[in-house]
Amino acid sequence: MKKNSRFYIGLVGVALVVTYLIWTGVSDAMVYYLTPQELLARVSTDPSLHEVGLKVSGRVVPGSYQPAREDEPHRFVVSDLENSEVTFPVVYEDLLPDTFTDEVEVVLEGRYGPDGVFEAVTVLTKCGSRYEATPEELST
Amino acid sequence: MTALGELALWIALPISVWGLTLAFIGGKTDRGDLVLSAERSVYVVFFLLILTSLGIINAFLTDSFQYWYVASYSSRELETYYKFSGLWAGQRGSLVFWALLLALFSSVAVFQNRRKNREFMPYVTGVLLTILAFFFVVLLFAEVNPFERLPFVPADGQGLNPQLQNYWMTMHPPTLYLGFTAFAIPFAFAMSALITGRLDTRWIVLTRRWILVSWFFLTNGIVFGMRWAYEELGWGGYWFWDPVENASLLPWLTATAFLHSIMIQENRGMLKVWNMSLVILTFLLTVFATFLTRSGLIESVHSFAENTTIAFIFLAFMGGVLGVGILLIVWRLPHLRSENHIQSFLSREASFLLNNLILLGAAFAVLWGTLFPLITEGFTGEQISVGPPFFNAVNLPIGLVLLALVGIGPVIAWRKASRRNLTRNFALPIALGLGVLVGFLIAGVREGMALVTFAVSAFVTTIIVVEFWKGTRARARIEGEGYLKAITHLVSRNRRRWGGYIVHVGVVVVFTAFAGAAFDVEVRQTMDPGESVSITSPYGHTYDLTYQGLSTSRSQHMWQWVALMTVQRNGESAGALTTEKRHYLVNQQQATEVGIRSTPLEDLYVILAGLEDMQGAADNDPDSQRATFRFLVNPLVGWIWYGGLIISIGTLIALWPGRPATRSVTRDAAVAAGSGSPAGGPTPRPTQAEVG
Repeated sequence: MKKNSRFYIGLVGVALVVTYLIWTGVSDAMVYYLTPQELLARVSTDPSLHEVGLKVSGRVVPGSYQPAREDEPHRFVVSDLENSEVTFPVVYEDLLPDTFTDEVEVVLEGRYGPDGVFEAVTVLTKCGSRYEATPEELST
Repeated sequence: MTALGELALWIALPISVWGLTLAFIGGKTDRGDLVLSAERSVYVVFFLLILTSLGIINAFLTDSFQYWYVASYSSRELETYYKFSGLWAGQRGSLVFWALLLALFSSVAVFQNRRKNREFMPYVTGVLLTILAFFFVVLLFAEVNPFERLPFVPADGQGLNPQLQNYWMTMHPPTLYLGFTAFAIPFAFAMSALITGRLDTRWIVLTRRWILVSWFFLTNGIVFGMRWAYEELGWGGYWFWDPVENASLLPWLTATAFLHSIMIQENRGMLKVWNMSLVILTFLLTVFATFLTRSGLIESVHSFAENTTIAFIFLAFMGGVLGVGILLIVWRLPHLRSENHIQSFLSREASFLLNNLILLGAAFAVLWGTLFPLITEGFTGEQISVGPPFFNAVNLPIGLVLLALVGIGPVIAWRKASRRNLTRNFALPIALGLGVLVGFLIAGVREGMALVTFAVSAFVTTIIVVEFWKGTRARARIEGEGYLKAITHLVSRNRRRWGGYIVHVGVVVVFTAFAGAAFDVEVRQTMDPGESVSITSPYGHTYDLTYQGLSTSRSQHMWQWVALMTVQRNGESAGALTTEKRHYLVNQQQATEVGIRSTPLEDLYVILAGLEDMQGAADNDPDSQRATFRFLVNPLVGWIWYGGLIISIGTLIALWPGRPATRSVTRDAAVAAGSGSPAGGPTPRPTQAEVG
């Protein structure tokens, strides 16, 4: 054991540094990943959630999408995947992905403001639909 | 043909189970006839998998949409070239493809060793057939059978996702899979070494080339994937820390660590348990990567639909491999003792070990970040994810230390570096590194991480250039050769060492190119035809881009809106760029094609981000051409691809077959020579003494 002590010192040293990097990295970069239902339920009891970065997955409500115009951002409404009654409006400044349509599943990252509007910084369309088509839909 | 392929898949499972049983019994009872029979079943399985693959390709070429897999990934209009790539376009085909490549490599390994290294072969064969059998179980029983039929025959298929219709995307998965599957061979030899108790460096010597082959393909697979993301995904970047990207990076990190740590075992007889653990870990990570890509366990930009059966089978297999691996290592622990120990932190052993620990630390951090949503869900019931900022924050400092070690490791002395060794090797490189740092500071560069990267890159490059110079000069002097001849001979006489240096040069180039991202410039602009935008490159010159207008066309497959941009650099014409929106008719999907003007200094990258009135533009209404563009200037990006090429060339030099080195004698000589022994290879540099 003793003759390998340098090895263990090195091991522990590197492990400590990596742990430190992971620890600080996580606390700086972590975002809650919620469904719309969870988000609305949690934010009603814990308003501090308005302050932190969030990731929310849901579905764009068909017909709700208004494309960006001049100084106006994109606007659409997102509903919960399981409970379509639960919805909230979204604004988004940047460019939407090509696969964004009026009914697609999306993952939003951003903040849920106290005014009840989700300000998205990124909008990803879910790729279940992007790469794995369902031939069952072809039968219709 | 397709039905034959399906039949072959069903026959392959019992054959592989039969073969692995014979292999293990034959190994245990020392019966060569059983082992021979097992080895033949490897060839048979390979042949059956060729039939299965041909069956799938045939189904694609004949538009057999009654098969779920074909209907999901092809259409009548799809180009023949992409129909071939249907074999690995989706989850089901790629599992067959994985098995096919593994069977190919297994057959090569069995054939190579048909008359030598017989003591290893029973268990090598057994382990490889076990892995193959596992994949057959997955294919046949995890609801991912590529030959599953639909209850009806659709008139046409869904078509291949337009984003997958790209040259690099047809190359990326097969290359990565070649890397994943090639690593099964070193793993099988390691397992065999543990089972038979032949735990000297023999298994490492036998599989060193396989490790390099695997590493070669892994590296290229990752680079191709980056190239695809850069050209096709249209956001101007090449790496997003997506779970699937991370999954391919993980085995690369541990395989890189393994490549270096086996040198310590070969030269100093240390790190035996460590190497065994690394080979098992890397193999597990190749399986994990396949699993992650193809199971949809974690939310990802390109993961697939969720399927719990396949997740369960994969996890059971990985758990089994891990359990058996740990048991075997513990069982053989008395035979895996270190012959030496580390005498000083200032030694090659220590710097290689640090390289290993850091690579593993990086792998752990990437794995942690990737699985973080699952971990937090397990503990707190809600998913918390970490994005690119996390991975960058952790991996940037790790990467820079690693880059410095790329320079230090190969030239610092074994055992304990003397003051003389240190000053001789590092004084000039440190001076030049600092010179670069000061130079860039004076030039006004203030990007901290980029500055450090440039300085460390200069440090490492100097070390490597000096090594080449010393070797060439000594050879030229002693052998009386011209410098060009001397450097060619130098490299060819110890390809492992000098090939390794060339790989290191490529790594430096790639890191420098990564640092270029710190200087990216981005402009977003909505424009009418005739309007211009001006962008200042970080080098100081100016690009003026003029939107010339939109041309719309409809072909058999798609609508296209092509925007033309003329480019002026500092007022002088520098060609034109096009960027377009496409709308594919078969699956009603939209895609963007970016325009890239690539020079060694920087890429000018133009994205047609949005059209105000697509319908109007399609009707050729001249007032409907208003469009939003995103312009990026990405410095040094091209060097990622050039650096990747240099890495490939270096790897090929290192692994190219040649006369076997006279190992046992030179290893003793190397150890005896102490601080003057070689970096990579077991052959000592004859010129070392003269160089000082």
